[in-house]
Amino acid sequence: MSIARANRLTPYLFLAPAGAVLAVALFYPICYMIYASFLDWNPSQRIGEADFIGLRNYTKLFSDAAFRESMWVTIKFSIVVVTIEMFLGVGLALLLDRNIRGMSVLRTLFILPMMIAPIVVGLMWRYMYHPTVGIFNRTLTDWGFDPIPWLADGDWAFASIVIADIWQWTPFIFILSLAALQSLPASAIEASRIDGASGWQQIIYIKLPLMLPVLIVTLLLRLIDSFKVLEVILVMTNGGPGLSTEILSIRINRTASEFRELGEAAAMSNLLLIVLLILTFAMFIYNKAQELRAQRMRAVEEEA
Amino acid sequence: MKVTKTNVWSAAIAVSLTYTTAYADGHTADVYAPYEGTTLVVNFPAHPHYNAVLEVLPEFTEQTGIEVEVDQLQYLRMRERQTLELTKDEGDYDLISYVVFSKADYVFADQLENLAKYFMNPRLADPNYDAGDLIDGYVANIGIAGGEKGYLPGPTGSLFGIPFGSETSVLAYRKDIFEKHGIDVPETYDDLLEVACLIPEVEPGMGGMASRAASGHQASHAFLLHLAPLGGRVFDAEWNPIINSPEGVAAANALKTIVDCGPEGGTTFGPAEAAAAFQQGQAAMFMDSIAFAAGFEDPSRSTVVGNVGYALHPEGVRRGSQTGGFGIGIPSNAQNKEAAFLLMQWLTSKEQDLAIALAGGNPSRFSTYENAELNEKYPYSATFGEALKYADPDWRPIIPTWGTINADIGTTMSQVLTEGLDPQEALDGVAERARATMEEAGYYTWQ
Repeated sequence: MSIARANRLTPYLFLAPAGAVLAVALFYPICYMIYASFLDWNPSQRIGEADFIGLRNYTKLFSDAAFRESMWVTIKFSIVVVTIEMFLGVGLALLLDRNIRGMSVLRTLFILPMMIAPIVVGLMWRYMYHPTVGIFNRTLTDWGFDPIPWLADGDWAFASIVIADIWQWTPFIFILSLAALQSLPASAIEASRIDGASGWQQIIYIKLPLMLPVLIVTLLLRLIDSFKVLEVILVMTNGGPGLSTEILSIRINRTASEFRELGEAAAMSNLLLIVLLILTFAMFIYNKAQELRAQRMRAVEEEA
Repeated sequence: MKVTKTNVWSAAIAVSLTYTTAYADGHTADVYAPYEGTTLVVNFPAHPHYNAVLEVLPEFTEQTGIEVEVDQLQYLRMRERQTLELTKDEGDYDLISYVVFSKADYVFADQLENLAKYFMNPRLADPNYDAGDLIDGYVANIGIAGGEKGYLPGPTGSLFGIPFGSETSVLAYRKDIFEKHGIDVPETYDDLLEVACLIPEVEPGMGGMASRAASGHQASHAFLLHLAPLGGRVFDAEWNPIINSPEGVAAANALKTIVDCGPEGGTTFGPAEAAAAFQQGQAAMFMDSIAFAAGFEDPSRSTVVGNVGYALHPEGVRRGSQTGGFGIGIPSNAQNKEAAFLLMQWLTSKEQDLAIALAGGNPSRFSTYENAELNEKYPYSATFGEALKYADPDWRPIIPTWGTINADIGTTMSQVLTEGLDPQEALDGVAERARATMEEAGYYTWQ
């Protein structure tokens, strides 16, 4: 009896260290953050000295026009950059999925932007966008055009951060799509060629549908990441002009350090976390559905 | 292990012996003797003034036998570090430099020592300190709390820090350009705005005045810089927001005029970019902190060396240059408070204020600005000393809710500058939101 019980408990015993690490490293900080979001807490106080104010931080957020604006900017930013990056990244992968000499060098070059520290990317772009000495405006004026107020005008500033993000993150989608493309079954593509499919038809009817599972995961990963982008925009515009580029993570950062409202910052982080959880959950469901479908297909094949 | 310990002890004894002999000159020995061998840990910002301080600090150790260990951080990082450090039971810092807007937070949270008990202690207070010589605008702005409106001097106020590395605003202008076109140096705001827009006409490619204007703190700072001289305030005596008064609108319009007639891309400028634009000859005027003056005379960075003149911050309906920068204070959780006070008193004494100023720091005393040697080295010193007589300690409120309100003014002003938002409408919005913030913080409890 007791041996049987010990046997049953053994797996949990082995899991215990991992569980402990998870509890300390993951659940404790998250619980701390959730608790903090119910407090009126400024950084000069210890957490124990802060007043408990229930849901007031959250109600305040929803009535705060600046927060709503920054939520909107974040959503707009994520949708725009991820859409453009997907098109560019997948397009590039389709173009470069062939045997060119020096392909591996090219590939490494393409993913360089991803490897640069975000602060450096921000600084680099900020100087390139500089109104007078930046490369863009110098080139424009050399060619006889009017200079563009890259970071000085709300709409242009938004476009500028989108461009910088696309430059940095398209390679991520490119490299994942390329990997997907190269693992496609050659037989399917061969068969379509024999059936007389044109290049476009191959892409639309064979390659893209087969790549879809990888593309969906890539899309979600990028979407989650784009919701949390901070450093590049912080360095380039610090959220300005006005609130035109103040994405949520900048708002959280300012709320904690500039406004000294740790409780409110925690509440914002929780809302962001909820949004990201929904996205992650969507990804999980999709994976599950895919697995089920594959299982069903296998079952059908086996029966046949 | 044992050997190391013995070594340390013998070294310590050797050091202390050296000190006793080093200041055989008399009274200083008695004052500092009890603290000999103490090591003070101080927290300073990375700032030109404090770089100058580092040059004179070894002299303190030599005179007193008190060691000083400096932890220097970028000023926003410094504030973050202090925020954590000051909530501990036993702090690591004995003396801290703080940004002026930290005064409200630290004093309110009871984290800074009231300096009265040190100045009352005959063993510590130097009778020749001459506190009356300290620049009163700075002392009121940075040092005192608890009086009028809570953050200013008054019958109920007391001293929590001493200005050290403080700044005011002056108007820097290009002497050569002004001479070339026969333009007089602006003395009033009307003149200033006229000249600001005249320059781009007579000197194509050059902006009138370079100003901070980037969204957030910078735009707010620039707006407030004009608000005080034009007769406005953010709050009235009862904490009602009056930022949307006609004076407020005038200040917003002044800022807009300056930025519109200023160098290209001005709406993204922080102080460093604005100073760089002036330094590179892209603007004929620059009105900001005195801390930038030394940079304009540095031939390795500046193309305008020798061509920069300085004038008082122009007068609107009144004179009112800004006050800001840093002060030094003793944390309530410091371990060596008395020795820290001695260091603080030493650093802000007449002799050391001058020594630091000569090394490139910002003086805290009127006498330093009048010093002939300093004026010979930095010819603009006399103008700065004059400007400080009009320094306005109340040009912006120093209250715990200021961070939120300041950011709101800054983003809204940025919208006025870049998106054409109407100044009156913009400031009405700021006033309304400021009222809600103040209401929540309890400023209307007694009304």
